[in-house]
Amino acid sequence: MGHLAVKNLSKIYGSPDSTGSVVALRDVTLEVQNHQFCAILGHSGCGKTTLLNIAAGFEPPTTGTVAIDDVPIRVPGWQNTMIFQDYALFPWMDVCQNIAFGLEMKKLPAHKRKDITSHYVDLVGLAGFEDKFPHQLSGGMRQRVAIARALAVQPHLLLMDEPFAALDAQNRTFMQDELVRIWQREPKTVVLVTHSIDEAIKLSDCIAVMTRRPGRVKEFINVNLPRPRDEDDIAYLQLRRRLRDLIHEEV
Amino acid sequence: MNASTQSEDVAPASRAAGVRTSWLFAFLPNLTLLVLAILAWQFASTVWLPRVDPHMAVLMPAPTTIARTGAGMIASGELFFHLLASLKREASAFVIAATAIPLGIAMGWWRLVYNQVNPIMEILRPIPPLAWIPLSILWFGIGDEQNEFIIFLGMFFPILVNTIVGVKNIDPNLVRAARSLGAPEHKVLTRIVLKGSLPQIITGVRIGLGVGWMALVAAELVGANSGLGFLINDARSMLRTDTIIVGMLTIGVVGLLIDTAIRVLGRRLLPWSLALSR
Repeated sequence: MGHLAVKNLSKIYGSPDSTGSVVALRDVTLEVQNHQFCAILGHSGCGKTTLLNIAAGFEPPTTGTVAIDDVPIRVPGWQNTMIFQDYALFPWMDVCQNIAFGLEMKKLPAHKRKDITSHYVDLVGLAGFEDKFPHQLSGGMRQRVAIARALAVQPHLLLMDEPFAALDAQNRTFMQDELVRIWQREPKTVVLVTHSIDEAIKLSDCIAVMTRRPGRVKEFINVNLPRPRDEDDIAYLQLRRRLRDLIHEEV
Repeated sequence: MNASTQSEDVAPASRAAGVRTSWLFAFLPNLTLLVLAILAWQFASTVWLPRVDPHMAVLMPAPTTIARTGAGMIASGELFFHLLASLKREASAFVIAATAIPLGIAMGWWRLVYNQVNPIMEILRPIPPLAWIPLSILWFGIGDEQNEFIIFLGMFFPILVNTIVGVKNIDPNLVRAARSLGAPEHKVLTRIVLKGSLPQIITGVRIGLGVGWMALVAAELVGANSGLGFLINDARSMLRTDTIIVGMLTIGVVGLLIDTAIRVLGRRLLPWSLALSR
């Protein structure tokens, strides 16, 4: 339930023969085991968001496939749901209605929706804010709503597009710890796109480092550090140096 | 215990009242020029003009005369009768003009619909509603249908244009988020696209009702036997300048009331909209 396989994936914008075409991804192959947390690390413009959009079903691949448990992804849906950088909360719905939206789309009966919603309100720490609207919440709290809304539909694959980029440094660190806590409570296969080396090390089981355009997986690294991750640990520092070198080669 | 809850209850209310009166006191000085102008008008109509040229005085009735005439027209129900006739036309025209909302959503959402319908709209839109009066009289004769047609034309385009803008300005990530949570296309349309464009639709309705109200008076000037436009044009033929001004003031005040009502309604119904709360 959530084994992700990306096979020989390429994405070319514009017609392949014309001079104006842009190769965003070339021959990307990647595998993420069930309930693993995978970070995709790369500079902006390396095609990592394109990879995520294809996995979410928003864009079709030019060649190759993205599959969950051997079922190719073709359309967006709750199985492969996405958390956005700008949260994309529905401004006319309060916290509960936002979280319950996907459940309503799944046609769950009202009492079940209520139970699941209140479970996730508690899990992400939003108790007491159930009837607040997004514009009444801080950035960190909006991100919590977005996480709860995505988890509530029980996705097989959770996609995150630089989810903490819009937060200030303190909130970002705090929300990263929160994400790990929530993910350990309810494990999911997660693919998180980031350009922050520390974020990748802190959160993930494996890191795919991307090359510059056209994007390819340059190196796939398993992170075998105990959680919670200690930034002063020697292995952490070594890994950070290695990732920095890999990234710097791409500048 | 009881006393403390009571004082808590009273405190915010009295504070609100305090804020309201202080606001009133701050606003009142702004009316100085208006009051002076009315006084000068009163002087000109009752003292100065009659001395210079008594005939001119008929053309410029005094504020007191207008107030007396207005009170008489309210008491006799005449003003209310014409106002109701106008409001009824405005309302029936709006019911038809509201078709601009689904059309605008379709045009904003489906490129094919936009590409096909937009050229027609772009040709029709710059034609002022009043330019339709001659043709509409031939089509509908003189009466409610003809009036409502002119008002409808005034309302339709502001509502249509604003609805299209509202749909096109929806954050594309909201649509993606809804799809990513499993929403089928018809749910995306009703729960996200329609909901998200409502603030802009309400703005369109506000502008539309305003333009419609202006077109209404013009339509009634030419082709009606009732309504505020008819009232002031009818009074002209009897040289009743006081009645004309009462009618004009009513048109202005009711227009302002309609606009304010829609604004308040929008803020009440869509408390989340930052655009409407401004």
